[in-house]
Amino acid sequence: MKIRFIWEFARFYGITALRRATIYSIAIMALPLTLLFVFYIISKGALLPYAIAGGMIAIVAGNALTIASDAAFFRLELRMQDLLVATQIGQTEYMLGMALGDLIFSLPGIAVYLVLGFAFHIFTAYSLALTAVILLFLALSTAALAFTLSSFVAHVRNVWGITTILSIGLTTLPPIFYPYTLLPNYVLWIFAISPATLAAMLAQGAYGLSPVSVNAAIALVAETVLLFAASLKFARWREL
Amino acid sequence: MIEIRGIRKTYPDGTEALRGVSHRFSEHVTCILGRNGAGKTTLIRILSTQLLPTSGAAVVNGYDVVSQPGRVRGIISSIPQEAKPSGIATPMEHCMMYLSARGMGLSEAERESRRALKALDLTEVMDKPADELSGGTKRKLFVAMALASRAEIIFLDEPTTGLDPISRLEVWSAIKKLKSQVILTTHYMEEAKVLSDEVVLVEGGRIITHGTVAQLLAPFKGKVRIEGDGGRYRLGGLSFSYVDKAKAKRFVGKNVTIKPVDLEDIFVTRGIKVED
Repeated sequence: MKIRFIWEFARFYGITALRRATIYSIAIMALPLTLLFVFYIISKGALLPYAIAGGMIAIVAGNALTIASDAAFFRLELRMQDLLVATQIGQTEYMLGMALGDLIFSLPGIAVYLVLGFAFHIFTAYSLALTAVILLFLALSTAALAFTLSSFVAHVRNVWGITTILSIGLTTLPPIFYPYTLLPNYVLWIFAISPATLAAMLAQGAYGLSPVSVNAAIALVAETVLLFAASLKFARWREL
Repeated sequence: MIEIRGIRKTYPDGTEALRGVSHRFSEHVTCILGRNGAGKTTLIRILSTQLLPTSGAAVVNGYDVVSQPGRVRGIISSIPQEAKPSGIATPMEHCMMYLSARGMGLSEAERESRRALKALDLTEVMDKPADELSGGTKRKLFVAMALASRAEIIFLDEPTTGLDPISRLEVWSAIKKLKSQVILTTHYMEEAKVLSDEVVLVEGGRIITHGTVAQLLAPFKGKVRIEGDGGRYRLGGLSFSYVDKAKAKRFVGKNVTIKPVDLEDIFVTRGIKVED
């Protein structure tokens, strides 16, 4: 494992974007903050803690999902994947570099939600520590899913629609901004295809907003392992 | 040294890009010259371990590209055709990222990046985001990345396409100074003449001939090309024939021009249309 490359690629991909394309860091916060506002008004503040917990999850998952389009763009348009295939790094390092870069890119959004969380007293030391672990698993699993999907994109013209569709399907519709207990069990477990659903279930449990789900914890770990394995097996690195 | 034996590549859509290519690349700089779709890029991508061949064998400095790709990757640097930089990162950041992928240490990577960027006159722009650079400068950045790699073998797929004449000269100068073995593809006859110790002419997925420029032009020694009336080869409405220089003046006429024989004539004499 080439740790230095992972860090260097995260700098190249994430920190440079944060420094020179800051507008996207703000843009990625726009939808979660809008939903937070809408939920706050409609529920008269009752759903605010859900929207704060969910917003952080939506930002991390949303940023990780951009790998689906970015990795495809890098491969098809910039030819960066070809450039890196002919070096000693493999697809795991490349994907982890992107995942770390996106996690770094998420930091301003996380910071905004931390401020909101402290302001509305929804955090405890335990829930914060658990949030960090949840976000790490979420970033890894979503990055693996996005990277695998990216390798099936055949044309640049299709690249930019992917993240929008994935983002709505995986981070807006699932019970991320509202209590997961509102959904029938079978619908909930359909949404559990998205790691963000499982992360939200755990976060809602950790903040005392909904019942703690041990199954969600097991499922998130299993999903991370499976998606990571799938990325190794199905993501295309060297061309056939 | 690179040796390929009977390399074939058929893409999933049925396109036969290489049809049993064998060659030994042992010179300092080899130019693979051919038209679009001739198979140049496919060959470079197979040698760079980016693409698997359908059949045949390729060995790079003793390592098989199919069974030992990791070994091959440790000794090569390969710049893809049409590679583009990420608009938000600077040339220096591109070099540092690429050299870290090649396993180079931080201080060495910084030193080699600065050296390579200077060699290609990119020092002034090395901290500018790439989307502020001109098209030619972006292309030179990739050549700089290859130079900075200090790899034993460097593959450059059309490194000077789109460059202005001065930038092209800078790239040529940098390539000539390299100690690495260089395999590059090009459309440009002039580039092949200036840079190469060996020229490999590729057409229709096959190597049609190879040798030094002098060797390839030897059959035409003392001859010139006549374009116009009465030639043997018809091409884009023109006819060609090759006659002794001494006889050439007899052919000068209203619709006839006389040109020195060049590398493109090797294609022409094989009935292969050469683009402008």
